[in-house]
Order: sequence, then structure tokens, then C-alpha cells
Amino acid sequence: MSFWSQVVEITRVDLKVERRLGDTMRIVLPFAVVALLVFPLTLGVDLSAISRLGPAVFWAIGILFGMQVALRQAAHDDPERRDLYALLGVDPAARFVGRTLSGGVLMLGFLGVLLVAMIALYSPELPDSWFGPLLLTSILVAVGLTELGTLAGEVTADLHNRTALASLIIAPLALPLVIGASSTLEAMTRDAGILPWILILVATDLALAVAGVGLARPLEEASR
Amino acid sequence: MGRLVDLNQIAVSLGGLPVLRDIELALDPGETLGVSGPNGAGKTTLLRVVATLLAPATGSGTVLGAELGTAAVYPVRRRIGLLAHRPALIPELTLAENLRHAANLSGIDSRKTETALRVVGLDEVSSRTAAASSFGMLRRTEVARLLITSPTILLLDEPFTGLDMEAQELIGALVSRTTSEGGSVVMVSHELGHLAAHASRLLTISQGRLEPAL
Amino acid sequence: MTRVRVLLAIAAAGMVVGLWFALTAPTDTLQGEFTRIINIHAPSMWLAFLAFGLTALGSAAWLIRRQTRWDRLAEGSAELGVMFTAIGLFSGMVWGQAVWGRAWDWGDPRLSTTAVMFFVYVGYLALRAATPDPTVRARRSAILGVIAVVQVPLVYFSVNMFRTLHQTQSIRPDGITMPREMAIAIFVNVIAFTIVYIALLVARIDVAKAEEKAAAELALAGDAVKPPRLSEVKDV
Repeated sequence: MSFWSQVVEITRVDLKVERRLGDTMRIVLPFAVVALLVFPLTLGVDLSAISRLGPAVFWAIGILFGMQVALRQAAHDDPERRDLYALLGVDPAARFVGRTLSGGVLMLGFLGVLLVAMIALYSPELPDSWFGPLLLTSILVAVGLTELGTLAGEVTADLHNRTALASLIIAPLALPLVIGASSTLEAMTRDAGILPWILILVATDLALAVAGVGLARPLEEASR
Repeated sequence: MGRLVDLNQIAVSLGGLPVLRDIELALDPGETLGVSGPNGAGKTTLLRVVATLLAPATGSGTVLGAELGTAAVYPVRRRIGLLAHRPALIPELTLAENLRHAANLSGIDSRKTETALRVVGLDEVSSRTAAASSFGMLRRTEVARLLITSPTILLLDEPFTGLDMEAQELIGALVSRTTSEGGSVVMVSHELGHLAAHASRLLTISQGRLEPAL
Repeated sequence: MTRVRVLLAIAAAGMVVGLWFALTAPTDTLQGEFTRIINIHAPSMWLAFLAFGLTALGSAAWLIRRQTRWDRLAEGSAELGVMFTAIGLFSGMVWGQAVWGRAWDWGDPRLSTTAVMFFVYVGYLALRAATPDPTVRARRSAILGVIAVVQVPLVYFSVNMFRTLHQTQSIRPDGITMPREMAIAIFVNVIAFTIVYIALLVARIDVAKAEEKAAAELALAGDAVKPPRLSEVKDV
């Protein structure tokens, strides 16, 4: 079977499993919205501060909770399934790309709903023509975070504390995504150029893609 | 077809501890090798070395002509089938979906899955999820998967454990089919009776070494 | 299914009547036409309280009697409670945006407590969905159902405990502090929403019974697993 056929098959099955389990939309997303609610309560009733901080809080919560979306496949992975994929001739790079695609779709949906909740709760003052750049940054963040999650899941395979450990690994590595995403909107508010920040996001995603595809085979062998 | 498996002075360590040492193993087409040994002897580790999933620490060997521990093993893995101790199925998918998933990944016509499910007796329950199926049903699904992938080397890890008579006969039929088509089988079990019934040669693992079974 | 259809038909008729009352009731001088949102908002929140109260009742009854029908009541009522809370929150946010200029007022404890209540019951439903065994599911969610209900009085009395933008209760034991026609419109809509709740709850319980029956049939897989066709193994 061709590389891209394997990618499509893995993406398809992964999304089917998520539809049946519902971890992302039924558990992680409500949890993230609760975090959106909790944060302003700690600030007190300072409505202008809450409005100003809305977009930043959205990205911080989106990325921190998005890590759980990115790591959900790792939670269901086991040595028997990895061995089976190896013996079926599944290219580990195809598995990486397939999981990134399925995770990216889920992450985008997650961020989309979280954004609507943030706008409703925080009433932020968004710059004109905000939708296009925000959509672009959301896609880039979704891809980057999922790539990180897939990589971290492989690196921590079969370890008993893998979810916490993988989150610890992802969090600092996700900083370029946090900075690029939040700075894009802030730059628009100041009428400054957004290209440098978009390029940071693109570069991060590309670097992770190259690492993920290039290291897929060694990571698979190392997980045994 | 030449020798399928040829291991010379193979040693394997896991977690820093030596598990197998001085392993010499040759497997020819049509052979069924039975390997016995107590729990923790290294039977599963041996299977995973033959499956090319574990590289040896020392020694050399080939499986289907590919040198162990090199990139040459990747293309031959498709010709190896493993029935592991625990089922390797996705719990949220149905038995039929699991089978189709394996067929799709291998580039095999997924229509064969219906025939395979009928042959193993699961055609009327194939819409149950793996999570809602018994161990015996999961095993039969994996046998169906091995029927459609038709491996040249078939590796069975405690294949009869927890199975009823019908399912055990199915495993036997799978072994016969593999050897009659020129493949070979390695079956590990701590039950000598099962091994004696199916194997053409018996070995045992003792102190990490392979020895003829008494 | 016939009784469900009858109930749904009555509910639909009730909603039409409620809509008529809502559209013909007087409005507040300052809020104008936006006042009419109260005919969705207030009944939704009342039904949410009722629904979560019945979830707690069903949960307690299950813990005492261990009968499946109480678990069905708790589950169906929780689902409807989440739905009505969502409608109440959304209508409240629309109203808030129109009247106060903000969809969400962080200084209003009723909003915050209602949102927290919503997510607690979302968690209740997620817990149920994640628990495959029916008895374990019933037990765990019954415990959560009994604990979670403390939020209902917390939400209801939050407007009295804290000084807030939110209106305090207009319908109190000592009298009604709104125009009579407005109060009647709200009452009619509360009744209409209650009939909707009953109809949907009965339908949901019927679905739960059908799901249990199907699961019981599925559990008996033994006869459906047939002997393998050993002679056909070579033909696959």
C-alpha cells in the first residue's frame, strides 16, 4: 500500500475512534471552557482587564489543554498495536503524518469552539479583519501542537507516567507556538505587521514535520 | 525457498538484564517448531527476535534473508505474522472494522475480510466492538487477520490459552495451512501437550539457552 | 410510542400558546422588546432546576432501591437539565448583550454559578458515557447526582446573597413585583416548557429501555459464534 494510502487509512480510523470515544469534545473541551471561566474570577471584576486579556488567555488555555487533545492517541497506544503496525508494513512516517492530520482536525474544532466561548465570555476588542489571521494561526497552532503531541507520545511510549511526562516535554517546546499565535493578534491591534509571527509558526511546524518524519523509524525501534 | 530463519550465537538483553544467550536456531520451509519453557524463560523474547522486532545485542542472524538489526528487515516484516499473548485490536472498532483496517494498511483487498470472518465463525457477530467481545472472539479475529495476510513465518505466543476446542482446532488449521504453503511456524507454550500435537521439532529454553526438549 | 406522540403534540400546542402570550405581554419601558426574552430565559432556568432536582431524586432512589428505572430517570433528567441550562445561559447572554452591552457580566454571581452548574452536569454526562458497565455507571453517577444538586439552591439564591446586576426574584412568596400580564405570560411558558420536559423525558426513558433491551440481546453472543469452517481455511 502506498505511503499516502496508509496516511489516509490511519487518519480515517483515528477520527472514527475519536467520534466513538468523544474524549476531545465531551471532556477536554468542557474542561478548557471551565478554565476560561475560572481565570477571570481570580482577576476580580475588572472588566477592561478581562477584555484585554481575553485573546492571551484563549491561547494559553488553548495550548495547555490542547496538549491533552494532542496526547490522546498516546493514551490508547500499546506495545501489541505498535508491533502489529510494524508487521503489517506500516511506515512509521505514515503513522506520524496520519496522526498529525487527525489530531489537527480535532484540535482545530477544539480551538474553534473555545474561541467562540472566549468571545462570548470576555467580550474582547478584536481588531478589524481579525478572522482570517486568527484562522491561519489556529491552523498552524493545531498542526504544530499535534506534531509535538505525536512526537512526545512516541518518546514516552510504555512509560508508566507517560501522560504527565509527555505534557512536561511538550509545554516548553510549544512556546514558539504560544508566542507566534498571541503576538499575531497583538500586532494586528497595534497595526503592525504579522508576517514575522506567522513565519515563526510556519517554521516551527515545518521543523516538527521534518523531525517527525525523519525520526519516525528510529523512534519506533527505540520504543521496543 | 531457502532457509527461512538462521540465528547464530544470538544474545538479547532487556532492561539491562540478559534474557537469551548463545541462541542457535535454524528454520526451514514447512517446519513447525515448538518452544517450551517456564514463565519468564524468554519464549516471547525469542519470538520477537524472529519477528525482527527486537535486535540482538550480540550475534548475527537472518530472517527471510534479511540481516537482523539492519534496515533490511523492514520490507520482510510484511511476511511475518505474530499472534501475541495479548490481542492487538482497537477496542472501539468492530471486529469487522479491525480486520478491514489491517487489510487496508497491508494493501489487501478488504473483501477478503468477509470470507475470513465466515471461515472463523464470526460472521454473525462481526459488528460487535472489540471491547464488547470475548477473548476467544478476539483470538478468532486475529486468526482471520493471519488468514488474509498469509505470512511466510507464523509466530504464535501461547496460542491455545483461554480458547475452546473449536478455536484450538482453528489455530491448528492455520498452522497446517502455513506449512503446506512452504512457510514455517514457531509456537511457544508452557504446555508440552499442545506443542507435541502440532510441532515437528521441540526445543526448550533453559537458563536463556535453547536446548532440545526431552 | 403513542403516548410520546400525544405528549409531544400537547407540548407543541403549549409552546404555541406560550409564544402568543410572550408576544402579547407588555414590555419593560427601558428594555423594550428585549423583555420578551424572559419568556424563554426564566422558564428554561426553572426547568433546569426541576430537571437537576429530579436527577438527584432519581440518584438517591437508585442508591436506596437499586432499580434501573430510577437510573433512567436520573440520566434523562440530567440530559434535559443540561439542555435547558444551555438555553437559559444563551438567552441570558443575548439579553445581557442587548440590555447591559455585555453578554457576560463577571460581577454577577448568578451567571458564574449557573455556568459552573452547567459544567458539573456536563461532567456527569461525560462520566456516564465513559463507564461501560451499567451497574457501575448507575452507582457512580448516582453519587455525583446527589452531590451536584447543592448547586441548584446556590444558583437560585445567588442574586440575594450578592449585590448583582441580575434581577432578583420577581415572583416571591410575599407577592409578585412585575405587571400581572407579564407574570401570566411567564407562568404560561413555564407550563409549556414543563410539558416539553415531560414529553422529552418520557421519550428519553423509552429510548433507554430500548437500548437496554438491545444490549441484553447483544450480551448473549455465545450462540452467534459459529464453529469455524476448517475445510475452508486454505481458501481464504
